[in-house]
Amino acid sequence: MVKKINGQEFAAEAMKAPVAVVDFNATWCGPCRMLAPVLEDISEKYEGKVSFFSVDVDEAPGLAMQYRVNSVPCLVLLKNGEFADQSVGFRPEPQLTAWIDSNLK
Amino acid sequence: MERYDIAIIGTGPAGVSAALTAKNRNKRILLLGSRQMSEKVEKAHEIRNYPGLPFVKGEELAAAFRDQLDRMEIEITEKRIGAVYAMGDYFALQAGEEMPEAKAVILATGVASAKTLPGEEALLGRGVSYCATCDAPLYRGRTAAVIGYSPREESEAAFLSEVCSRVMYFPMYPEGPVLPDKVEVIREKPAEILKTEDGPTVVTAAGKYPADGVFVLREAVAPAQLVPGLETDGAHVKVNRRMETNLPGVFACGDITGTPYQYVKAAGEGNVAAISAAAYLDRRENRKE
Ligand SMILES: Cc1cc2nc3c(=O)[nH]c(=O)nc-3n(C[C@H](O)[C@H](O)[C@H](O)COP(=O)(O)OP(=O)(O)OC[C@H]3O[C@@H](n4cnc5c(N)ncnc54)[C@H](O)[C@@H]3O)c2cc1C
Repeated sequence: MVKKINGQEFAAEAMKAPVAVVDFNATWCGPCRMLAPVLEDISEKYEGKVSFFSVDVDEAPGLAMQYRVNSVPCLVLLKNGEFADQSVGFRPEPQLTAWIDSNLK
Repeated sequence: MERYDIAIIGTGPAGVSAALTAKNRNKRILLLGSRQMSEKVEKAHEIRNYPGLPFVKGEELAAAFRDQLDRMEIEITEKRIGAVYAMGDYFALQAGEEMPEAKAVILATGVASAKTLPGEEALLGRGVSYCATCDAPLYRGRTAAVIGYSPREESEAAFLSEVCSRVMYFPMYPEGPVLPDKVEVIREKPAEILKTEDGPTVVTAAGKYPADGVFVLREAVAPAQLVPGLETDGAHVKVNRRMETNLPGVFACGDITGTPYQYVKAAGEGNVAAISAAAYLDRRENRKE
């Protein structure tokens, strides 16, 4: 499952997870809408290993600034709350799972 | 919504040939392009190396393509595709407001002549954007630089000026531009886009223009931008002899796969791509049964 969170929940949940993938997106962004179902699929495969969150950049502009999100969709991967990697734009599922796996090594 | 078997993007010789063969294989196809077919066909004065049609004029060849499609009852959908998304077991094509779907895609969009600026690709998504209406809200109250390759892009710059505190516009063409007063027009030719402490910076022979975001707006869509995740080699899509790309279900043919740029090569590759796409679909069906 990809859990929609706001700025406060980010600190309480995404930062606390051992590994988190945060999808920064926006309602007005076409590629974001296409990525959402792909990410939902991926989240099932990593259940128990990686936590997935979704942040609307218009609702949390501060977070978007902090993580230097200047194009959406943007996936930010956190390890124990620390920024580890980012992936910008829509990507097909096999490429995204390869990206996540390379960060789990 | 109905899902097509094969979406074919482009109505040059590659796309037309792919459509004819796919139709022959009884596939449900969506052919996207224009009833003008292709500028590169229409504008050719006289073609000497198209077998069976000696000394055919470009416009005659385009008319023959149209006629053959009509007689095969293949419709041309006059839409420009902005992006193709691999959704897992199907593809979603962004065609303006609509999102047609297909199980396989054949790219026959020809070559885009636009070269990218040094630094542009490296900074894409990290300060460089190709879509003002997509990313503008991220630059609310900040500074944007726009490099516009045609007057069509002026509306995007105008839109940005409603959101950003400052907009610089670099027209890459001689006319105009017609823009709101708020937009600063800079008549200097950008040589590169640099990442500096002040953010992405447009560098010209005369100066440096730092911004929070640089928008590069041109008509031609690079293949990797058209299909996110597609493996390319500069302006060309990487394919094997079966015209398969790195993405299962996506095939490419014609100028987009590389030189030589020739009609017959494009038509031949279109034929191969359609046969490969049909085989891909049949394999998929068999697996399901
Ligand atoms: C003046 C001139 C003369 C030439 N003479 C010869 C010659 O004598 N012999 C020879 O063999 N070759 C010749 N060529 C080369 C030949 O034109 C090309 O190799 C050939 O047209 C390539 O075919 P194609 O189908 O790959 O692409 P194109 O013919 O370029 O067709 C691309 C199609 O894709 C469409 N398209 C692109 N992007 C999109 C999108 N995003 N959404 C929807 N549709 C899209 C375009 O509208 C167009 O219909 C000549 C070229 C020119 C310009």
